[in-house]
Amino acid sequence: MIKLEDVTKVYDGGTVACSNVSLNVAKGEFLFLVGASGSGKSTLIRMLLREEDVTRGTIWVAGKDITTMPSWKVPYLRRTIGTVFQDYKLLPNKSVAQNIAFALEVLGRPKAVIHRQVEQVIDLVGLTGKAERLPRQLSGGEQQRVSIARAFVNRPPILLCDEPTGNLDPATSVGIMRLLDRINRTGTTIVMATHDHAIVDAMRRRVVGLEAGQVVRDQAGGRYEQEELVE
Amino acid sequence: MNRIGFLLDEAFVNMRRNPLVVSGAVLAVFVSLFLAFGALSVQELVRTNTQQWQDGTHVIVFLKDARDGITLDSQVALRSEIDGWELVESTEYVDKLAAFEEFKKLFPNSPVVDNIDPDVLPASIRLRLNDSTRYREVVFNLIDQPAVLEVVAPGESIENIAQLSRVLNWLGFGLALIQGIAAVVLISNTIRMAIYARREEVSIMRLVGASNWFIRIPFLIEGMIEGMAGAGLAVFGVWIASRVVGDVDAAISLFDFTISSGFFVKWSILFLAFGAVAGVVGSALGLRRFLKV
Repeated sequence: MIKLEDVTKVYDGGTVACSNVSLNVAKGEFLFLVGASGSGKSTLIRMLLREEDVTRGTIWVAGKDITTMPSWKVPYLRRTIGTVFQDYKLLPNKSVAQNIAFALEVLGRPKAVIHRQVEQVIDLVGLTGKAERLPRQLSGGEQQRVSIARAFVNRPPILLCDEPTGNLDPATSVGIMRLLDRINRTGTTIVMATHDHAIVDAMRRRVVGLEAGQVVRDQAGGRYEQEELVE
Repeated sequence: MNRIGFLLDEAFVNMRRNPLVVSGAVLAVFVSLFLAFGALSVQELVRTNTQQWQDGTHVIVFLKDARDGITLDSQVALRSEIDGWELVESTEYVDKLAAFEEFKKLFPNSPVVDNIDPDVLPASIRLRLNDSTRYREVVFNLIDQPAVLEVVAPGESIENIAQLSRVLNWLGFGLALIQGIAAVVLISNTIRMAIYARREEVSIMRLVGASNWFIRIPFLIEGMIEGMAGAGLAVFGVWIASRVVGDVDAAISLFDFTISSGFFVKWSILFLAFGAVAGVVGSALGLRRFLKV
């Protein structure tokens, strides 16, 4: 579903954010990207969205080489990827339903379709009855659910999450992770960058560790910290 | 249909958020196009008025009479000589009585008419030329003729008016051009502010895969509406001005101040279209830097 081959990203100032990263993510996989701040997690996610160009190497998403993709096709790439961020990125003056509907409106979907899909996804993320609330009337966890609903309403095959629990308390984070896990079980590939030890340790999924832009670990069913080999 | 409605809604949301900046842009377009349309109208007035002259009498030759020892025969002889000239298309003889009738028509309520002796007014020959611009040559040939009292060619004053209007036009168009550039820059700035005010929406639109045109179109519509609003005000302004000047018409009957409705409608449509184009161009300039993928 996602394949990186020798991907290197050097910013204009000479900072190396990614260095020779090669990675293969299968369809339906759930992958944690872990590492300290500045290790290149966010850059990787931005490159998958073509918000950043790679300096060297190739990235395939859903079978397409996105590094040579003409810029007018990039919006179509982004329609196959849902994105969830730490700061939710909700529009403050739109209601829950309007925020979710916005993602479909800009794709020009018919009103009836939008209405139906928004209703469904609101139920799916557990916000039934809160469709008309404004973001500021919701808790952090609820706002993140709206953001996940918006990312998923179009049923994209891939979901990219950049620290989705970064602003949430542990109990709320668990709820969000349950939701992401459910979405993953529908066959959606999920790549999630995180600092959250507890979550990674509890979920026991594939863990890719980054350090100074390089992959230092790629472990199925891993924990946040590399486990010492016990004899 | 839903798409178009959504795009229009977005454009109006932009304008509601920034009424002051939007008014500035609209006013700049208004001033620019008002000056240009005004200059064009003045040019048209001069053209139609000089047209009347070009179609009418080009040179009037007032003739000496019996008191100066000039007989009717020599007047007739002069007329037939003039008729033979290459530049002259036709001539018309106006005798003293006809001149008096015309005088009465020109000053219908003047007490002078009652006291005037019809014999005082000179007879004249009116000339139509093949080429009205060459009136000087004809005047030159006429002044030395013994039967000629005075030669009058309105061409000179008309040339002065035309000259003045040319200068005013250049000035008007120059100012309109500068103001027009300012208007485009102001619209582009308005659009930049609108994008800045909506940067969150724009970033989310990009994130969820809205096409670039879908993001740009509301801003282009906004620019177009601003340009057309300014142009509409300019058209309205010129219409008001032409009505006001048209009322003066009766008082100064030498010059006809009415603009034909055909001219007005044609140029109004062109100016509205131009306003729309200027708005879209300004908006596109504002978008260029901010909405890269």
